[in-house]
Amino acid sequence: MSQVPAGANAPATSGAPVMIEARAVEKWYPNGFQALRGAELTVRRGEVVVIMGPSGSGKSTFLRTFNALEDFQKGSITVDGIALSNDLRNIDAIRREVGMVFQQFNLFPHLTVLDNLCLAPVVVRRRPRAEVEEQARALLERVGIGEQAGKFPGQLSGGQQQRVAIARALCMEPRILLFDEPTSALDPEMVREVLDVMQGLAHQDITMVVVTHEVKFAEQVADTVVLMADGQVVEEAPPQRFFHNPSHERTRRFLDQIL
Amino acid sequence: MTPVLRRLRQELFPTAADGALSLGLLSLLALAVAGLLRWASSKAQWAVVQVNATLFAVGRYPLEQQWRLWLLTALLAAATGLSWGLLRAHPRPDRTGKLWPRNDRLAVAVLAAVALLLPWGLRLALPLQLRWWLITGLLLLVRWLAGRFGGALRPAQLRLVPLIWPLLYLLGMVLINGGLGLLPVAPSEWGGLLLTLLTASFAILLCFPIGVLLALGRRSDLPLLRWGSVLYIEFIRGAPLITLLFLGQNILGFLLPGGLAPERVWRASWVLTFFAAAYLAEAVRSGLAAVSPGQLEAARSLGLSWPRALQHVVLPQALRIALPAMVGQFISLLQDTTLLSLIGLMELLGTARTVMANPAFLGRNGEVYLTLAVLFWCCCAVLGLGSRALEHRLDPRSLSQASR
Repeated sequence: MSQVPAGANAPATSGAPVMIEARAVEKWYPNGFQALRGAELTVRRGEVVVIMGPSGSGKSTFLRTFNALEDFQKGSITVDGIALSNDLRNIDAIRREVGMVFQQFNLFPHLTVLDNLCLAPVVVRRRPRAEVEEQARALLERVGIGEQAGKFPGQLSGGQQQRVAIARALCMEPRILLFDEPTSALDPEMVREVLDVMQGLAHQDITMVVVTHEVKFAEQVADTVVLMADGQVVEEAPPQRFFHNPSHERTRRFLDQIL
Repeated sequence: MTPVLRRLRQELFPTAADGALSLGLLSLLALAVAGLLRWASSKAQWAVVQVNATLFAVGRYPLEQQWRLWLLTALLAAATGLSWGLLRAHPRPDRTGKLWPRNDRLAVAVLAAVALLLPWGLRLALPLQLRWWLITGLLLLVRWLAGRFGGALRPAQLRLVPLIWPLLYLLGMVLINGGLGLLPVAPSEWGGLLLTLLTASFAILLCFPIGVLLALGRRSDLPLLRWGSVLYIEFIRGAPLITLLFLGQNILGFLLPGGLAPERVWRASWVLTFFAAAYLAEAVRSGLAAVSPGQLEAARSLGLSWPRALQHVVLPQALRIALPAMVGQFISLLQDTTLLSLIGLMELLGTARTVMANPAFLGRNGEVYLTLAVLFWCCCAVLGLGSRALEHRLDPRSLSQASR
């Protein structure tokens, strides 16, 4: 596996320690369909990696193996120095360090926005409620919805809900944040506000892996853009080269379809 | 025209055809009510209920030990008043944005009227009438006090208040059953409404955790657990309750660990519990199925363990969705207790049958059955109102347009 060339946006990450290392990952779904066929990826601390690819290429599945929401049958994945195995303690340890933002937000509808943020830090990390609440309010301010703390998710717009979901993930103070098509379920006018929040997080000590179709976001924010097709990583390059001078025919075809 | 009249006209007589239909139905209703009233006031002889009021209430519970039941009733009244008052002191907006609880002045008025008129209508001895009035007064006093001063309680303290109910239930068991220094009263001496409520509440309380576990088992990844749950649920649902009750009287003693079901009343209660649990499991399962898998994924990816995710995220939503179905189950469970009379227990229907068999009250079946129907209706109405209140309290706003 070749070293990842440093992106134009953040050259500092090239020598940083490896946060996610996936080697020859293969996954079969119970129905026999093979979703991953030897997928490989290296993500360094502080790096922003965008994964693109046609639907059915296995990019969401690949992302979901990083915090063990999906299992895999062959290969190896190491996250923050912990090897992913079927050991449950390992999985819980990794999930505490890895936050996840979903396409459908998956906020807890029976809890207020504030309680959505506070639940995991209080229950999992056993931190005092008052301290967590203070942090949660600060995070809500940071994503621009400080005044909505007492509302229920059902009362918010899609864009606001997704920003709450990001704040909820941040409240656990993860070292890695995974985004699974965070803007795909949003109305067009709300995409911007979510991408802005994500851009604000980038290159601030947090490692981000983002599955998205937002080309602009990939061009402006990513250090590395990855193309997945048929369960494999086809191309892995800094955004400049990825979008303007890709080395693989498959990438060129994909870009022709979306640009 | 007053607003009330205007609304009546809008709802009953919007068009000529609707008006005719309304008139027809109203007159049918009036005829039925008039007939019932004529029968109840002239032809019916209520002595059968008045004389046997105590029998209907507690069966053959020994007279000199009945103070324990009075004490329990007073405690229940106080606990009701406390919970009610605290709910009043901490109202919450419901779906429509109005504060809940609502209409509770009306509820107080109804309660006071019933408490005042019922003991008098039953021609109870004056001391007994006084006791009922005192108990009602206690309820209203505690409600007022809790409503007045309960607002100062902090949330952490408020969370402890519901705990008085299970404690009171255990205390009630001791008071009814005896023990801890109290003279034992054998279950064979319990009867009437007391036995009905006791078996029904026992089954409702215990079938709930068993039903939830069965529902989880049925959705489990472990084949043994899944097939065990399916087998249990389908076996119980495939057999009529009365068969199971007779079966229970014969074999339950062998199935349960020693001493847990030695007495016929307890055996029947366990059968009711296991029976209701199978149906409840299906209600809970439908609730679990309605919660999107994304909820569990989100909770798990935040680091919550499976039991924690279940406790904080999945079950609260699933049970809220399953609540109407579960309460329906509880109501039919309450009515199913009448089957206990067929295995010789003296619950309400069993008591009624002994009363009607008494030559002194020959031909008074109508009065007795009507009383029974009204009693059951009251109990079910309380369950129904309670569940509606709980649904409001669990804040439907949060689920109305929930994100998946």
